[in-house]
Amino acid sequence: MIKTNNLVKVFRTDEVETTALNNVNLEINNGEFVAIMGPSGCGKSTLLNIIGLLDNPSQGELHFNGYQVEKYTERQRTNLRKENIGFVFQSFNLIDELTVFENVELPLLYLKVSSSERKKRVNEALERMNIAHRAKHFPQQLSGGQQQRVAIARAVISKPNLILADEPTGNLDSGNGEEVMNLLSQLNEEGTTIVMVTHSPSDADRSHRIIQLFDGHVVTENMRQKL
Amino acid sequence: MIKILLHTVLRGLSRQKVYSLINILGLATGVTCTLLILIWIEFETSYDTFHQDVKQIYSVYENQKYADGDIFSVYSTPSPLAETLKKDIPEIENATRIVSSWGQLTVNVGGRNFIEKGGKIVDADFFKIFSFEKIYGDTTNCFLNPNSIVLSQKIANKYFGDINPVGKTVVINSKYKFEVSAVLENARENSSITYDFLLPFNFFQEFWDYDLKDWEANTFHTFVKLRKNANRNDVRKKISKIISKHVLNSNVELDMQAFGDYHLYSINKGSAGPIWYVRLFFIVAIVILLIACFNYMNLATARSERRSKEVAIRKVVGAQRRGLVGLFLGESLFFTIIALGISIVLVELLLPEFGDMINRHLELNPGNYKFFFATIIVVLLTGIVSGSYPAAYLSSFAPIQIIRGFSRHDSALVRKILVVIQFTMSVALFISTGIIYQQLAFLKRSDIGYNKDNIVYVELGGNFNNNYEQLKNEWIKIPGVNWVTAANQMPVNFANSTWDVNWSGKLKEAGDILFQLSFVDFDFIETFEMNVIQGRTFSKQYGADTLQFIINESAASKMNMENSIGEKLTIWGKKGHIIGVVKDFNFNSLKVGVDPLIIMRNPAAFKYVGIRIGKDRQPVIINKIRKSWNKILPEIPFTYRRLSDDFDYFYQAESRMSKLFLSFTLVAFIISCLGLFGLASFITERKAREVAMRKVFGANMDQVFHLLLKDFLKWMLFAIAAAWTMAYFVMEWWLNGFAYRIHIGIGIFLISAMLTFLIAFLTIYKLISSLSGIAPANMLKYE
Ligand SMILES: Nc1ncnc2c1ncn2[C@@H]1O[C@H](COP(=O)(O)OP(=O)(O)OP(=O)(O)O)[C@@H](O)[C@H]1O
Ligand SMILES: [Mg+2]
Repeated sequence: MIKTNNLVKVFRTDEVETTALNNVNLEINNGEFVAIMGPSGCGKSTLLNIIGLLDNPSQGELHFNGYQVEKYTERQRTNLRKENIGFVFQSFNLIDELTVFENVELPLLYLKVSSSERKKRVNEALERMNIAHRAKHFPQQLSGGQQQRVAIARAVISKPNLILADEPTGNLDSGNGEEVMNLLSQLNEEGTTIVMVTHSPSDADRSHRIIQLFDGHVVTENMRQKL
Repeated sequence: MIKILLHTVLRGLSRQKVYSLINILGLATGVTCTLLILIWIEFETSYDTFHQDVKQIYSVYENQKYADGDIFSVYSTPSPLAETLKKDIPEIENATRIVSSWGQLTVNVGGRNFIEKGGKIVDADFFKIFSFEKIYGDTTNCFLNPNSIVLSQKIANKYFGDINPVGKTVVINSKYKFEVSAVLENARENSSITYDFLLPFNFFQEFWDYDLKDWEANTFHTFVKLRKNANRNDVRKKISKIISKHVLNSNVELDMQAFGDYHLYSINKGSAGPIWYVRLFFIVAIVILLIACFNYMNLATARSERRSKEVAIRKVVGAQRRGLVGLFLGESLFFTIIALGISIVLVELLLPEFGDMINRHLELNPGNYKFFFATIIVVLLTGIVSGSYPAAYLSSFAPIQIIRGFSRHDSALVRKILVVIQFTMSVALFISTGIIYQQLAFLKRSDIGYNKDNIVYVELGGNFNNNYEQLKNEWIKIPGVNWVTAANQMPVNFANSTWDVNWSGKLKEAGDILFQLSFVDFDFIETFEMNVIQGRTFSKQYGADTLQFIINESAASKMNMENSIGEKLTIWGKKGHIIGVVKDFNFNSLKVGVDPLIIMRNPAAFKYVGIRIGKDRQPVIINKIRKSWNKILPEIPFTYRRLSDDFDYFYQAESRMSKLFLSFTLVAFIISCLGLFGLASFITERKAREVAMRKVFGANMDQVFHLLLKDFLKWMLFAIAAAWTMAYFVMEWWLNGFAYRIHIGIGIFLISAMLTFLIAFLTIYKLISSLSGIAPANMLKYE
């Protein structure tokens, strides 16, 4: 599904040049659950953002479902993103002015799904994430764990085949973290490809494969036995 | 999509009440001012358009050319012109003369007397040219009968009550009997032609013993209606030389003005007519609307730090930039529409006040499609202009930024520039208002060459001289009455001129010079306290003294005489001598200079009696004057005017407009201050953390205060410099339109600067005091 070819990302500011990714080659297949680990600042988030088409690589190739996409225009990338990729962030990133229901509904609006269909799908997703009773609440009225479940609901609502999660449990206590991980595993079992950045070894244990990054390089790819 | 847009906007609105309120109030104020001005402009431009054939109607006027190259344009034309035009020019279908009844008439209706000033004398074609609505009777043939009178509805009601008065009789000046043949609607508010009643020309000829065949006397307005499809420029060419066919050595060329332009445009080059105000206030409307839009842009962008997260998330889940631009434009349109709702209420409330201010009766007429479309255009423009920058700016956030946190996009500079422009415009308006007021005050108190205060005057009809002698004898006995004199016109608006003046040394090349001519009685100079600089005034010692002239300084210099006393002068073939020279005095508005003037004693032309009374107990004196009048002329009600009121009247338009200007300036200032306040509160919000942090590490508030103040002052100085320059040049240009003008002083500029600094200072102070109230712990929690 995803294949990178000598991916390089260099950040230039006035004073310094930081090479965040240095010739990264990796391949992620359909249905995989991949964890990316490594010390702070090694380029995990950068990699995830490039895979998610939120950022451009400086050099190298990125293939997505067989298409070469690193030169896509903003418009093309948005279209590809909205149909294929769901995001979960460490800091939830819900819109404060919208209710839980409306936050989850948002991707469907951009996919031009009909109103009745939207209603059905949002309610299903909320049921599934176990927060249907909070549909009319605003994000600030929810706990962190609940907010992250809303964010996951928003990520899955468009039925993407890839979910990218950047430290999805980073702001949660172990109980809530556990719950979020269960949801992600479940989605993976249903066929969604998941790429997750994490610092937590126990979260990483849930994955099929761990990619270790160090200083912009892939150090090891650690195949795990599926339990 | 619309629904979710409404949701976001409405929730944002209720969550950020101050922000929303400032935004909506700013827009509402801007839209209200614009709508008020548009209603007024609509009214001004609607003048005379209610006549069905307005496109075919023209007002014929004279361009009089003088030796010094001046062209003086007047609507007054000779009496035979209308008839001649109709006969000689095939394209002219109808023509009418119009003239006022020349002073007041006494109308007797069934034993009751009414003094009327609003009568007009017109030809039968009047009714074919203009389409005033008929209420009763018939106007097609009415002026074929020389004893017809046509009344306005108002007068018909006053005389006869609520019945059809056609066929009833009225008697004018106890001698002329008329039969009412029709009743017309009252002249509308937006009609240039007004009338209380209309009379045929036979009356005029008989009553004034006026020679209606005379081509040399200019007295009448001439209006013509062209045939459909007639070419206007052909007609202009054809009429241009008509006067010279009938008058030897005429310096007059005829031209015509579309009746639709009659109200708005002056026929004299250089004087602008009401169109000037229409344009000026159109610009003011745009400036105020822009200030309000800038306000919105400013606040919306300032808020962007919050909105950026929303934008980024929307982009992550699939929003395209174009859609987001639409979203923000939709939002500003939505704010504008709310503002419009408030504006409509405000306009409804303010319209009467506004109308009073400009002396117009204005109405909000929802059925007026022009106004309806104008409103839609105003709303769309306001919405789009206001939303443009925020939309462009906000939609530019890349989604990556939410993940990485925000590098500070620098909209701060743009925002500062917006505030600077707002303040530039407001300060420039402020200075302009100040200068306009100074100029008006200057005009009112400047030395006009005579003493206009404590003069009352009355208009005297009928057998003037007989009544005048009796009245004068009575009045002069009243304690407190100092002088009594008579004249054909009061020195507030001289309008009687001639170029038929000859003197011994007159050079051929000097050509025609236009002299004002005034006919006065003994004691005229004394009554008005004018200054004689050479010779003497008219006096009974010299008998009737009718073939002696007094001239003003300007005339003396035009005649190029060393010592004018005793020089011979011929006017209209009458020979006489110059006996005195008076210091130039203003007999017109100070907007124009002083023309050369010749004064002579001519009792046949007297129309007004002027009385100088004492300063004290004026009501008592005037009451005594009234009593004597009632004794001598019991059948005519006593009415009088004060010369100083007339004088004020000259500047009424300016005075009204300057009040209006002041109001709009205040509005502009208020909106700008709202903007500054809004901006300040956002700075507060943004700086709160920084300040908290500084406090944790021991900074003191004074330092923060100075830092902010320095930044603000720098930008304010910028605004002030720009405003000074702008105001200076615009006001120089405006003042140059006056013959007598002030020189722009530094005072108002300094005041404007002080005011601006004060506002800036107070804003910062407010900002700092709210910042210093924040406990550091509170702020740092929410990183
Ligand atoms: N916009 C940017 N400009 C300059 N340098 C950047 C930018 N974004 C990231 N970097 C640099 O790139 C490197 C990788 O950053 P990245 O955010 O990918 O790290 P990370 O592995 O996600 O770290 P963490 O575990 O702390 O989230 C870091 O050295 C960082 O300083
Ligand atoms: Mg990271």
